Amino acid sequence: MLVWILFLLCQVGAPALAQDLCQRDAPNGYKVRISLKTALGEDAYEWNQSEIFFFRATMAFAMRRHFQIETYNVDNIILCVQTSRVSFWFVVTSPDNATMLIPKAEVEKAVRISRHRINNAFLLSDRTLEFLGIHPTLAVPVNPDTPPWLIVFGVVIGAVCAGIIALLVSSLLQKRRKEKGMTEDGQDEEDMQVKGVENGINLDGTYNRGFTDNDRFTKL
Amino acid sequence: MGKDAARPEWDNPMQFVLACVSYAVGLGNVWRFPYLCQMHGGGGFLIPYMLMLVLLGVPLFYMELAIGQKMRLGSIGAWRAISPYLGGVGLASVVTSMYLCLYYNVINAWSFWYLFHSFQSVLPWAECPVNSNLTSPVEECERATPTQYFFYRETLDISGSIEENGGIHMGQALCLLLAWIIVYLFIVKGVKSTGKVVYFTATFPYLVLIIYLIRGVTLHGAINGMKYMFTPKMEQLANPTTWINAATQIFFSLGLGFGSLIAFASYNQYNNNFEKQAIIVSMVNSSTSIFASIVTFSIYGFKATFNYESCLERVRLLLLNTFDLAEDTISLENVNHWIAELNRTHPDQFASLGGRLETCDLEAELDTAVEGTGLAFIVYSEAIKNMPVSQLWSVLYFIMLLLLGMGSMLGNVIAVITPLSDLKFISRYMSTKTLNGLVCLFCLLLGLGFTTRSGNYWFTMFNDYGATFSLLFIVLIEVITVCYIYGIKRFEKDVEDMLGHRLNWYWKIMLAGVSPILLIALFIFYIVNYIQGGTPTYQAWNKELGKSVVTEYPPYAQAFIGLLLASSVCCIPLSTLYTYCKKRNLASGKRERTVSTVSA
Repeated sequence: MLVWILFLLCQVGAPALAQDLCQRDAPNGYKVRISLKTALGEDAYEWNQSEIFFFRATMAFAMRRHFQIETYNVDNIILCVQTSRVSFWFVVTSPDNATMLIPKAEVEKAVRISRHRINNAFLLSDRTLEFLGIHPTLAVPVNPDTPPWLIVFGVVIGAVCAGIIALLVSSLLQKRRKEKGMTEDGQDEEDMQVKGVENGINLDGTYNRGFTDNDRFTKL
Repeated sequence: MGKDAARPEWDNPMQFVLACVSYAVGLGNVWRFPYLCQMHGGGGFLIPYMLMLVLLGVPLFYMELAIGQKMRLGSIGAWRAISPYLGGVGLASVVTSMYLCLYYNVINAWSFWYLFHSFQSVLPWAECPVNSNLTSPVEECERATPTQYFFYRETLDISGSIEENGGIHMGQALCLLLAWIIVYLFIVKGVKSTGKVVYFTATFPYLVLIIYLIRGVTLHGAINGMKYMFTPKMEQLANPTTWINAATQIFFSLGLGFGSLIAFASYNQYNNNFEKQAIIVSMVNSSTSIFASIVTFSIYGFKATFNYESCLERVRLLLLNTFDLAEDTISLENVNHWIAELNRTHPDQFASLGGRLETCDLEAELDTAVEGTGLAFIVYSEAIKNMPVSQLWSVLYFIMLLLLGMGSMLGNVIAVITPLSDLKFISRYMSTKTLNGLVCLFCLLLGLGFTTRSGNYWFTMFNDYGATFSLLFIVLIEVITVCYIYGIKRFEKDVEDMLGHRLNWYWKIMLAGVSPILLIALFIFYIVNYIQGGTPTYQAWNKELGKSVVTEYPPYAQAFIGLLLASSVCCIPLSTLYTYCKKRNLASGKRERTVSTVSA
């Protein structure tokens, strides 16, 4: 009889006790914020009791994975302060003693280990399923051996240097060909650049700046 | 026509026009004009701008082309031929061009750096890099923005002030080397190679600008920027600074006084119709400025709208999270309505938000007008990283910057090389190729100083003081020399000789009257501004705060500024003195000799 009364009390008292364990700003609890519409837009599912059950089951899984024991159950995860934002607080009770809470650090470790699984279970990401206080680890930056800019630089400078060398060599060859042409003919008759060549003698004159070629403008 | 026939020439007049366009249309059209437009009343700024173009820009441009084409020599030889006492004007131009060559190519080096870094899946200035513990982004990047961090830390590795020197940034040095090698490639064969290159450097930037225009106006929020820019604020016209800035912009945008135009024109045919070309090039330059500012402002509008909407999104999330409301209660449109509502219904909780609640203001975002390297490398890259397929737009944009910069560099380098190669004692010992190579090498070695950790501060000093004041002085002396010492009548006859018709009354009035008066006014303004401004200051990047702070130049830096200004300006009086002394010695020497012959 006494046992039966105690049992009844436990059934009534347990939820009340659970309420005391889980509250806003609980020392061993975490606040979770879920942004379904941001993550999924049109395909967002409704956050209802079944989803809450799923969350509790996922957290129990995370605790099992972390402690490597299979005693954690859905009842060990207690939720409270649920809002329409979709945010709530949760605490984790020990499977051996329903009044004892698992410390915050252990819960954090468990969440970190299984974060990827938890996110995928809900089709969310680190940004849309937030555990306030547990910062996601940032991706390792990729550090290639040769920075890619150096490769592009090498290609461009190689092409430019090749261009310069080609230009210089071609002008050198041209000059040598012209010299050979001049020594063979003796007199380069096609070279019209040096005007003032008369009777085979170069006249070295200076340009008279006072001279203006007005003939074109004179009306004859 | 003796040795002048051996002077190289442009293959056709089109090359000359494109060379002038390529030189005049430079980075200033893209990063200075839109800023001025915004500062001085949007569409209304076009009135002083166009007026100054007609009164100041076109006549001076015409004058420089006429001198170059007539004398067929670089700036030193040309001015010595005009007036033997004022050969120093040419020398001053060469000195100023040399300063410009030293620091201008550093901008091209930065463009190369950004261009090469665009070939990555994620643009490096899009996100902050993580710190060594992998816990959070690098602190300096958090306090500033990723684009600022990339520019100041990864590109420049800037130190805290001009006094703190550091080592050379290897990446920058390599890019500078590449820039100078490409310049050498363009000028190695003189006008023959330059003439072919300008077909590309003059036209391709327009192609990119058109592509960007189409992309820009189709961006979300572009219309906000364009509306902001083109709404004329006529009251700005009453502000004298507007007119002075318009005049200065026209003046520097056309590249007057450096000797590049004289050098380009010296390779012309004697009877080339430079009058038509002068008008065409000036018009093209101004239209490009306006065109580029349309593109700039559509991109500004996009960036401002993007930032504004991100701000609204952050505020929305903050409200949702603090008050635990369902996600779809607050949307971007009714954020402000909800702020008022929540303030009314939950005042205590609202007060607990405190400083975290940002005010989002589109006007304030648009008001952040920036000019210069800050616009080109920080603001633009920030806008580009938010565009879809950002790598493509980034590559296109930096190629355009490179072409604009390279085109202007060609003019700068030719302004130095042409007068040097005209000097007899140089042309006797070296071929043009060797001379070009030596000049490029010399500029490269000195330019490495701008790639050190404090290099950007020296760059800013050169940019602000190296070529501004001296140019005004040089061009003022040029105009006075041509109109009053050489004589406007002789100038008229020379022009008639080349073109076949007399100088129009417009040119005569502008050159002899209006332009000198405007130049004197600008000159006086600069002096007054400099004296009133107190100690010159610069923007130093503070890595703790993550922003630039105004710092004064140390005394030795101020002395260096004085040296920069004096070194080019003093060439004129010193050379006059030198010529005067030489003539006196020559005259007295002749008298002695005559006496001795008679006595003997």
